[in-house]
Amino acid sequence: MEIWFLPLLMTLLIGVLCPAAGTLLVTQRRELQANLISHAVLPGLAVAVAFGIDPAIGGVVSGLLGSLLAERLQRGRIANHDAVVNTVLAGFLGLGVLLIPLLNLRLDLDALLFGDLLTVTWWDLARVLVAASALGALVMGRYSQLVYLGVDSEGAAASGLPVRVLRLAMALVTALVIVSAMAAVGVILVIGLLCAPVLPGLRRASSLRAAICAASLVGLALSAGGFLLAIPLNLPPGPLIGVACLLLLCVPGMRGERT
Amino acid sequence: MSEAVLVAKDLVVSYGSQVVLQDVSLTLQAGTLTALVGANGAGKSTLLQVLQGQLAARSGSVHCEDVPIEDCRERVVLMPQRSRIDWSFPITVREFVALGALRSPARACCEREAALQRVGLSALASRRLDALSGGQQQRALLARALVQPSTVLLLDEPCSAIDPPSRDQLLRLMRQLVSVGHTLLVSSHDWGEALDLYDRVIVLQGRVLADGSPAAVRRSLSGLVDPGNHCCG
Repeated sequence: MEIWFLPLLMTLLIGVLCPAAGTLLVTQRRELQANLISHAVLPGLAVAVAFGIDPAIGGVVSGLLGSLLAERLQRGRIANHDAVVNTVLAGFLGLGVLLIPLLNLRLDLDALLFGDLLTVTWWDLARVLVAASALGALVMGRYSQLVYLGVDSEGAAASGLPVRVLRLAMALVTALVIVSAMAAVGVILVIGLLCAPVLPGLRRASSLRAAICAASLVGLALSAGGFLLAIPLNLPPGPLIGVACLLLLCVPGMRGERT
Repeated sequence: MSEAVLVAKDLVVSYGSQVVLQDVSLTLQAGTLTALVGANGAGKSTLLQVLQGQLAARSGSVHCEDVPIEDCRERVVLMPQRSRIDWSFPITVREFVALGALRSPARACCEREAALQRVGLSALASRRLDALSGGQQQRALLARALVQPSTVLLLDEPCSAIDPPSRDQLLRLMRQLVSVGHTLLVSSHDWGEALDLYDRVIVLQGRVLADGSPAAVRRSLSGLVDPGNHCCG
């Protein structure tokens, strides 16, 4: 029982944290940014491991750089934003995969991409708490500005809100959340937890705050369900949670359709 | 003659090498309702953005009450086109209207309730924004603009994509705002009878084609505009 305590705690925290961060991304229509950052962390992780630094720091820096590069390349373009993001995503992922043999690293790529809860430590839990604190500070400190940015981004910019700073802060928090969720569900499967739990409550919530709470509850249920199912089935919880996210969207009324 | 509150002189605006507005000059008098009419691509939205100071002109000037617009942008409020808003965002009408007072939160509460009452949405203030009809959403957008203390209101196609009764209600509301001292410039591509509700009409097509009372503008453009070719937007 004791060996399951830390992984379970980690799963539950990630189950709450990821959908909370995901609600910001979905309501700002920046879901693709989560996808980009989750792939762009890889080169930073590899470099950090090679230099003996905490991989999470390298991952956050690298994810943020990927996001900034995509933003920079999108500037001045009227269309094709998604194509730019996907190209940066592919480039960073490719760079990360190339760096592993080039730097003679011994990285468990499977655990990195899909998670391995059995390797979770208290240090991983501390990372989750840091990410949760950053997200909490952003939402509580800039709530109205985030709402304005989501509902009318051009109007927010025209009224003098620091739109670029807000987007940078969101990218930073997203990178922190993704890297902190690595151990539980891996950087790839985290995308499912960032997006799927947000949708069921989005059309019913009367505020961004309520949408965040609803998404966190759904995420908590998905993560707990996936974890508890993984034990008797003897399957890895990360991929199981990813499949649970998909199944959720197949249930009528869970995609955030109008009622 | 009432006092001039917004004066634009010899505006030239371009996107890259493409000139969108050429030598546009206009003066808005206090407490008037003016229509800015033109076809799609005539430069109406661009002109409104320049008048609000969001967009810089290549040459020319905009002054609000004799102050350069760059120094008094808060005096001119631009209500954007409805397509710019994410209507599905999880937000109530009340919270949406309050966004207009984000820069001055101290006065937000009473201004918000007053604006909701003025546009007739007090009873719907707790509803989600996407639960409103198109016309009600436009009124919510107008209420958000009214929360801000301003001298001039610029409305970018407020009557587009709403049904005729909602449009008429909105026009009546704009007329009421003018009667209590607001100055409104409203862009539209409506050549129909609704134009008669305005004090003055400016016809734009990259430059000012006509400027005057609705009847005078109709007369001066009778040879250029097919009166049957109007839409209700």
